[in-house]
Order: sequence, then C-alpha cells, then structure tokens
Amino acid sequence: MVTTYLRRAYSSFAAHVFDIPPRLLALLLLSFLITLPLTGLNPYVISVMTSANILAIFGASWDLLVGRTGQMSLGHALFFGIGAYSSALLFEFYGLPLWITIPLAVVIGAACGLLIGFPCLRTKGPYLALVSMAFPLILSSIFYFFDDIFKGEFGIRGLPSFFPSLATKDRMLGNYYLTLLLLFISAVILYKIANSHTGIVFVSILDDELASKASGINVTKYKLMAFTISGLFASLAGAAYAHILGVANPPLLSLTWSFVPVIVTFLGGIGTIYGPIIGAYIYYLLDRYFLTIIIEIPYELIYIRLLVFTLIVAIIVIKWPRGIGRFVTDKLEDLQEGREIEEIMAEREKKKKKKQK
Amino acid sequence: MHLLEVENLTKRFGGLTAVNNVTFHVDEGELLGIIGPNGAGKTTLFNIITGFLRPDSGTVKFRGEDVTGLEPHKLVNKGVARTFQVVRPFRHLPVIANVAVALKSPRGSRKIEWLKTTARKALDMLEDVGLTDLMLEPAENIGHGSLKRLEMARALATEPDALMLDEPFGGLNPLETDFLTKSIQRIHLDHPTRGIVIVEHKLYALMKIVHRVIVLHEGEKIAEGKPEEIAKNKKVIEVYMGKATLHA
Repeated sequence: MVTTYLRRAYSSFAAHVFDIPPRLLALLLLSFLITLPLTGLNPYVISVMTSANILAIFGASWDLLVGRTGQMSLGHALFFGIGAYSSALLFEFYGLPLWITIPLAVVIGAACGLLIGFPCLRTKGPYLALVSMAFPLILSSIFYFFDDIFKGEFGIRGLPSFFPSLATKDRMLGNYYLTLLLLFISAVILYKIANSHTGIVFVSILDDELASKASGINVTKYKLMAFTISGLFASLAGAAYAHILGVANPPLLSLTWSFVPVIVTFLGGIGTIYGPIIGAYIYYLLDRYFLTIIIEIPYELIYIRLLVFTLIVAIIVIKWPRGIGRFVTDKLEDLQEGREIEEIMAEREKKKKKKQK
Repeated sequence: MHLLEVENLTKRFGGLTAVNNVTFHVDEGELLGIIGPNGAGKTTLFNIITGFLRPDSGTVKFRGEDVTGLEPHKLVNKGVARTFQVVRPFRHLPVIANVAVALKSPRGSRKIEWLKTTARKALDMLEDVGLTDLMLEPAENIGHGSLKRLEMARALATEPDALMLDEPFGGLNPLETDFLTKSIQRIHLDHPTRGIVIVEHKLYALMKIVHRVIVLHEGEKIAEGKPEEIAKNKKVIEVYMGKATLHA
C-alpha cells in the first residue's frame, strides 16, 4: 500500500518535474527522419534537412542554458563559431583528420563555455543578454584583424568533408545520417541532464537564485556547469556544420546564428529540450519552403527572412510566452490532469457505493 | 561554546545605521525570538547572519568558527538554514521538487544516493510541515500559508543545526499561525540540539514558544530576557506603544 503510493507519487513527481514528452512521439519523429531519404527526395531537401539536424543540436544546447537555467544568452553563435574555427584551424595548421579535430573542437568549445561563464556570472537578465551578445562580435573582429591566421572575410576554406570518397549524392545522404546520429546522441544526453537531479537544480536557479543559495546550492558551480555543457554541444554543431559547408567563415559568428536558436526554441517551446529540435524542422520548412518557394523571397536576402522570423518570434512571445510547443503540451497536460481527476472522483464514488451496499 | 554567536555587529546603509553594535548568542536546543517594531533592523541582522549581507564590522561565529561574510550556500552546508520573510518558492517546480533542490545540496544529500530516496526524504520533510496533500502542485498554484510552510520544509531538508526563520507568521491567519506554532514546537522536540531563531513582530504567537527574547529598536539591542520579563519591560512597551506622557 505504502510502496504503491510512493511509486505513484514518484511517477507523478517525475512527470511533473521532468515534463516527459510522449516517448512514442519522439520515436515516430526519429523513424520518420530515418526513412525520409528512402522516399527518394531530391538532394536539395536532404541538404536542408542536414542543416536542420545541426540547428536542432544548436537550439537544444541553447535551451538547456536559457530555458532551463535562465542564463539569457543572445550570443550563442560564439560557441558555434568556436567549434567551426577550432576544427578548421587544427586542420589548417596541423593537418589533423576531422575525426580528431571535431572532438578537439568540442573540448575547446566546452572550455570556452566555462571561460565565458565567469564574466557572465556577474550579470543577470537583460544585462547578461547584452554582454553575451558582445562576445561573438569581439571574436569576429579578432578574426578580421588577424587575417593572416584566420583568413579574414573569406574564412578557412577547403575543409575535409565527412565522406570524401563517396559520390556527391551519397555524401549528402551520409552527412544527413551522420548529423541525425549526432542529433540523437546529443538530444538524449541533453534531455537526460535536463531531467536529472542537476536539471531540477538548474530550474531552481531559473526560478529564484537567492532561494537556491538558501537551499545550500552552489549557484556559481551549477551556472558554470550549464555554460560548459551548452558550449560543448553548440561547438559540436558548429564543427559539424563547418565540415559540411567545407568552410569556417565569420558569418558563423554573426547575429543571425545567435538569433536562430532563439527562434527555433520559441517555435518549439522553451525549457523542454525537445522543443527546439521540433522547432528546427519547422524553421527550415518555413524558411526554405514557405519563404523561398511559395513567397519567392530570394535566398540572398537573408535579412528579410530574419525580419519575418523575428516578427514571428515577437508575436509568439507576446501570445504564448513559453513557445508554441509548450502551449500545446501544457494544454495536453491539463487535459490529462482533468482525466486523472475524473478517474479519482469515479473511484471515490465507487467506494461510496460499496459502503452503502 | 554557543551554537551561534553574534558579536558587535554593525551595518550601515549610507547614513542609516540599520544594525548597531548588536551582540547575542544562541545555544543548542534553544528557541530564541528576535522582536522589534518595523524598521528595527531585524531582517538586516538576519541577512547578515545568514551571509546574504556583509557587515561593516563585527563577527558571526558558528560553533566557535568565524563565518562572517561567508557565502550563503556555504553557510547552509555548515548547518545554518533560513527562510525568507517574503516567500521565495521555485514557482515552476512542484512542491516536492522544491524540497528536493535543498536535498541536492551537499549537506542535504549526505545520506541520499537515489532519486527514490530523495522523493521519500522530501515526503518526510513535507509531512513535518503538513504539506503532503499538495506535494504535486506546482508551487505557483499554492497559497501563501502553504508557501510559508514549504519554505520551512526546504530549510529543514538541509538538516540545519541552526534554523533561522524570518517572520514565519507573516500574513498567516490565526488558524495557520496555530498550526505553524505546533510544527515549530514539534520540530524543536524532534531535534533537541537544534537552535532555532525566529524574527517576528507578531508577539502573541512568538512569546508562547520561545525561551528567550531579544528586542531590537532602530538597530540597537534594547532588551534581552525571558518572554515574561520582556512583556513587562518598560523600554519595550515604550518602543511598541509610544512614550507614555505622564500628567501627574
């Protein structure tokens, strides 16, 4: 009796704290993504989907830092760029193969997350957002200035691709499945972290830092942890993207790449980890299909597209502050709770009737 | 050796001296009340002791060790836990997870390794303050009286040696006050070596449970003694009721 009560309490506790999305849905999405190329789509769609996979990793890493820990970062492109450039520089100067440079880039990205965490500890909220926004701009200025090392505006070109021996079409497929695998691994790890003990502490920092301290939590340690983890996965996304494009250039550090994770997170739902993953696909669907093919905005006019998306995000934030996905899941949860309450009421009535008999 | 010792503590905010040369101590197993009218510096004193503010001068000692200006979380892990006057729950987390956060602190997690034990331990804490019915509600949905008790459960989860309660009765109705009084007494009985400090300006509830009272006025300690003595103290009555103008 007591154990069943505890088990119910625990599962309910888990469901509430962890916001577990239906596992089935995740599985469906995964199997859809795996089978997608088998339907004989054209290579353009595959390459767009590959970018979406990378953006999903990037968005999920942003969500852990901002949606879960409340450390407002508007300069996440920093980690993306660091991932890309570290891998590129290691290739350029030491000629290392990408199976070594990418893991090294990820380690460098995590170290930078830790390093950036220190100045960011001193600021909060909008100030932190401004400070973090400055970092990628600083880095790209450095890259422009030392153009003998970083190759300035053109960036470091000729990076090796993942499957150099394959034909173009097969290489695209390979890239797609590789990024999907990376996404799957990153998503599982990020999700596990967000829903662990540590994840609860992250949310407590988001809710009330002082109260966290009063509960004996070393807030500094946990914030730095969030920055490190986030930097790690963001730089993984950046490094993979650079090797798919074959180039690491300053646009990877631009404001666009800082805002894209914000956009995808709000499209999907903040603080969920799976939100930005779904958001990334919606983003590319809207961007490459709706804006390019239906409305026919030329691809070069990137700022017009960004304008459209920032407008969409502004509307979402006003209308559903926790993102569209969160709005939907919250509604579903309410429904489920309603059903549970109905069940409990029905049970009680049954008991009453039994007593009457 | 006293559990908690405060010596000559002074804190100024600009020209205002919020706490002026205050000295007192708390023993193991003692229930100490700190009272005083609004603006007497009670909460400031409290914030200094718990590490949220740095004093301009003076020391705070815990079990003989100087802990002045130590960061709040370090102090909590040494065994000084507190609640807030204005409740500060983790609004997005359910009640039980609010307590689980404190159990995740190094001190709170000393004996806990698995999440299930955490949940069970958190349930114990909630039972102590009578919140088990609400454990799955997000903290943003529960009432002020319950939040006050939740704060206490969260502080208790770190198994403090010194429990500091900042206006635990603030904003509670008589029924809730009564319930909380009983909880505090029970908590006190369960851990006879634990010192409890209560800051309050509602005297009625406080005077019944504490062993000793300190009275603050404009940052200074003006009286100290047993509740009965304090209730008769002329200076204290003057501070609370205003000066009696005597017309012979």
